[in-house]
Amino acid sequence: MCLAFPGKIISINGQQATADFDGVQKDINIGLVPDIKKGEYVIVHAGFAVQQLTKQDAWEVLKEYEKGNKII
Amino acid sequence: MKKEIKLSEDLIKKIHNVANEIGRDIVIMEVCGTHTQTVSRSGIRKLMPKNVRLLTGPGCPVCVTAQEDIDAVIHLAKAGIPIATYGDMLRVPGFFGSLEQVRAQGAKVFSVYSVEEALALKKDYPELVFFGLGFDTTTPMTAMALKKGLTVYSTHKLFLPAMDALLSMGEIKIDGFLSPGHVSAIVGIKPYEHMNVAQVITGFETQDVLVGIYMLICQIRDGRREVENEYVRLVKQKGNPVALKMIADTFEIGDGNWRGFGIIPNSGLEVKNPKLNAKIKYKDILSKVDYSKSKKPTGCRCGEVIRGLIMPEQCPMFGKICTPEKPYGPCMVSDEGGCNTEYRYN
Amino acid sequence: MKKEKLETIELDHGGGGQKSSELISAIRNIISDKGKWKNQMDDGATLKVGNQYLVFTTDAYIVDPIFFPGGDIGKISVCGTINDLAMMGAIPQGLSLSMVIEEGFSVKDLLKISQSIQKASREAGVPIVTGDTKVLPKGKIDKIEITTAGVGLAKKIISNSGAEIGDVIITSGDLGEHTVALLSSRFNYKTKIISDSKTLNKEMQLIAKFVHSAKDPTRGGLAANIIEIAEKSKVKIVLKEELLPYKKETLAIAGLLGIDVLSFASEGRFIAAVSEKDAKKVLQILRKFNLEAKIIGKVEKGRGVFLKTVLGSLRPIEMPRGKLVPRIC
Repeated sequence: MCLAFPGKIISINGQQATADFDGVQKDINIGLVPDIKKGEYVIVHAGFAVQQLTKQDAWEVLKEYEKGNKII
Repeated sequence: MKKEIKLSEDLIKKIHNVANEIGRDIVIMEVCGTHTQTVSRSGIRKLMPKNVRLLTGPGCPVCVTAQEDIDAVIHLAKAGIPIATYGDMLRVPGFFGSLEQVRAQGAKVFSVYSVEEALALKKDYPELVFFGLGFDTTTPMTAMALKKGLTVYSTHKLFLPAMDALLSMGEIKIDGFLSPGHVSAIVGIKPYEHMNVAQVITGFETQDVLVGIYMLICQIRDGRREVENEYVRLVKQKGNPVALKMIADTFEIGDGNWRGFGIIPNSGLEVKNPKLNAKIKYKDILSKVDYSKSKKPTGCRCGEVIRGLIMPEQCPMFGKICTPEKPYGPCMVSDEGGCNTEYRYN
Repeated sequence: MKKEKLETIELDHGGGGQKSSELISAIRNIISDKGKWKNQMDDGATLKVGNQYLVFTTDAYIVDPIFFPGGDIGKISVCGTINDLAMMGAIPQGLSLSMVIEEGFSVKDLLKISQSIQKASREAGVPIVTGDTKVLPKGKIDKIEITTAGVGLAKKIISNSGAEIGDVIITSGDLGEHTVALLSSRFNYKTKIISDSKTLNKEMQLIAKFVHSAKDPTRGGLAANIIEIAEKSKVKIVLKEELLPYKKETLAIAGLLGIDVLSFASEGRFIAAVSEKDAKKVLQILRKFNLEAKIIGKVEKGRGVFLKTVLGSLRPIEMPRGKLVPRIC
């Protein structure tokens, strides 16, 4: 129920940051992820970064799952 | 792209194999409207095994907004209070019309993409009220804006109590949940553990949903009732503590008024600061609203669709009186509503 | 079903969706004489003169912002009307230009707009031959409105209803970039994508004899326009998801705002139904103008417009509804 899009932080200015979304750049509010660093990825909802995005995509998760590794 | 397609095809085969092993009919609820969208848009629904039923749940904030709340905000707008709202709410019909219609009649209703726009509008319109809508993912933004002095009419809700309500009401037997990925990004994993039902916290790309469904039906086959996480790249064990603190600082938990469910205790978020709480600030206007009309049954069966009791086609208005062009109820207005998705993709 | 009595015009009535059609029908019920002209609700009306057809079309242009990356209101007012003529197979002969301007509008801006109009007209080889201007008091109109009308001559009319079973659907290039330019201006996104507005009469003239049906996907985007071709031609059209002609930036803006990319408008692209056997020739010609021209789907027996998803299932493509509003859910 939450339209959100992944973006890469390319510059930070206090509580604002510029994020790049597949070649589209927008200023977003990073107040909810204050420790985020330049070059890291976030999910953006309604103009705000809600959480840091790390690398594991669905197929990697499936691979680990089938190996029997518990995913946390 | 070709590799993706092969992986997807293989996984769909695996899903069919596990479903075969299960044998009996099972019901999986995709609680989140965005999951329903992915399932329909990508064609997953049509490729599922016959004994696996994917049901839409109440994860559509527009759909579960009580008619009384819509009618209240419309009255504020009619009384000359400038209203800022997310675009999603513009066309939802209350008993007295929609915000879009009220705007056409001269009321000041602004559609915003982010609360920051609402804060900017407040400089020109100091009386502005923000129509706060959304679950745990959207509430932190409103919380931040409250800290900056935005006045809010809150219909924000905590999502997990609705999942509890579905389970305890027991109207339909739910074998497992595809749990909401973005709500979980905020609340983490622990809050789900008491539910004693199979669930997989799932992301929103096509491959996420396929992997999530696969992990879920494996649980169902094995008789496990665990909280698993497919959306590893976003959902951390502790969620987002900064966001959770922000919500706790600015909101208090009370009864939530859910369309279709009625009151769910401890699911509603009310603005703590009385000076910024539109329900208190504009008590005079709001006390004059005739809510008896809001409660009158309008023939819309959204409530039952949200609870998974009926399929949209079973509502007598579906597709005839109620269409995305001329929606009667919120399930048809919202792009995430079960009725809207069913009408458009099937 | 009891139809509500319409009392006031709503924004949706101008959106190009079902409500727009209802409004136009209501007006046409009153203004219904056509004389010797034919108008099958295509982009323009036609009049047979000797062994040719006179084609006549008009459009009103209001855009916010009036200056956007890749163009301005002047440019699109010329491109839009020239393209409507071109889509019907007509060679545009001349345009009329009327401007309604708000008191206080910047003269510098007006001259800039006029220069854009001249540039587009010259590039297409279509002169502006007559016009009118009016000024309204401040507040009575939002900045500027431009209406252009155009006449063209065609030996054969290309109609929206000409798509044939077995045809392929070709696009002259990537779509939706005009809307991207407007949205990025309005919502403060930075992107290298600029409006795709351009005149299409030159390329259309080179391929007209191969084209069964063509439309420029302006208001309503690919969705509305492909549905119109399918409905009027009484055929089924299937587009392939992995061939959808959108750049990643276009998809990103659509995803960020929660607006369906299939409804994004282009002001300098067209989609056409051509025989499969002619497709290679047509693409060769079109790629001289735009390397992104490609096949995106095909025409089959049946009804409806569908997208074949990456997973292989068919899902219906829906008619966009009214004004594009960003969502958060």
